Amino acid sequence: MAFKPSKSKKNVKAADAPLNMNAMMDMMTIILLFLLKSYSTQGVLVTPSKDLVLPESVRTERPTKQVTVAVSTSGAIVLNDEHITGPEAIMQPGNLIAPLSFKLRELANVAKDEEANYGIPFSHEIIIQGDQFLPYEYFSKVLYTCGDAEFYNMRILSVSNASRNQ
Amino acid sequence: MAYKPSLRRAMKPVDADLDIRPVMNLMVVLIPLLLAGSEFVKLAVIEVNLPPRQASGGGGDKNEDKPDEKKDKKLQLSLAVTKTGIYIASPSGILGGTPDAEGDETGPTIPLNAEGKQDLVALKIQLIDIKKKIAGKGFKDKKTITLTAERITPLQTVIDIMDVVLKYEEGDEIKELFPKVQFGKVM
Repeated sequence: MAFKPSKSKKNVKAADAPLNMNAMMDMMTIILLFLLKSYSTQGVLVTPSKDLVLPESVRTERPTKQVTVAVSTSGAIVLNDEHITGPEAIMQPGNLIAPLSFKLRELANVAKDEEANYGIPFSHEIIIQGDQFLPYEYFSKVLYTCGDAEFYNMRILSVSNASRNQ
Repeated sequence: MAYKPSLRRAMKPVDADLDIRPVMNLMVVLIPLLLAGSEFVKLAVIEVNLPPRQASGGGGDKNEDKPDEKKDKKLQLSLAVTKTGIYIASPSGILGGTPDAEGDETGPTIPLNAEGKQDLVALKIQLIDIKKKIAGKGFKDKKTITLTAERITPLQTVIDIMDVVLKYEEGDEIKELFPKVQFGKVM
């Protein structure tokens, strides 16, 4: 047997209730202002390696796009997103890291050729990304190797935190 | 003759909501656009400009490594970071440290602070003092300092010390302290 339709809802009209957008507009305005404040027209020129925790610094000088060497705490080295060597090379006695030196010299030669043929100046600049716990011994070896391969204008990448220490 | 009643009085106010949909559409477009271009972590760089490699190798500024030029007075200030504190030295000796129980000033120039960390505030005061003392005395390498650290010193400590060494604030003015930092190694 079919059920009898309900009488109570028969004459009920759907109420015309518009969605109140005021609260959402307020929220959107605040988010918009916040994002406009933190907007960078320059974009991200240097992407820090995922597994590195960069040291913090009070410096505010912005990085530019350059050859980038990333060194992990264990001593693994990545040059321009290309894995160069594991920790074994940096643990060798002596200041020079041979695989890194070889690759950097290749890049320096390419840059010098471009300078000679096309007039693109070779800035000798390199960005060094090191983990905040990178031992000084490894760090100094990376500096030495970069300087030896004619990348003597070094930039140590850090997270800018102007309120730190001062 | 009486005036005819105004028809405006009979007009009912129209309940017209402001149409904010176009603004909402604009917001929906703008917010993802700005989110993509926002920078939540600001990166910075610390410049370390080494001199070009010499044929004979070795570090040091090519203009400052000429021992035969007697007219150049050199300070050769160096900082050594150890696990007990920071030593400030020059070829004439190590700057007097805190006296130990026997009264010998053999300890580091800047010992660790109460928290067991490097005392960057005391280091800054000491370096500013040195900078003022050497001002006008004609040292050719008055802007240069050599930074050395123990092999296990973490990079964060080195960066913290470089932050102190490079510049300092005097009132509203930012002045150079020792902007040319060279890295040394304990052999």
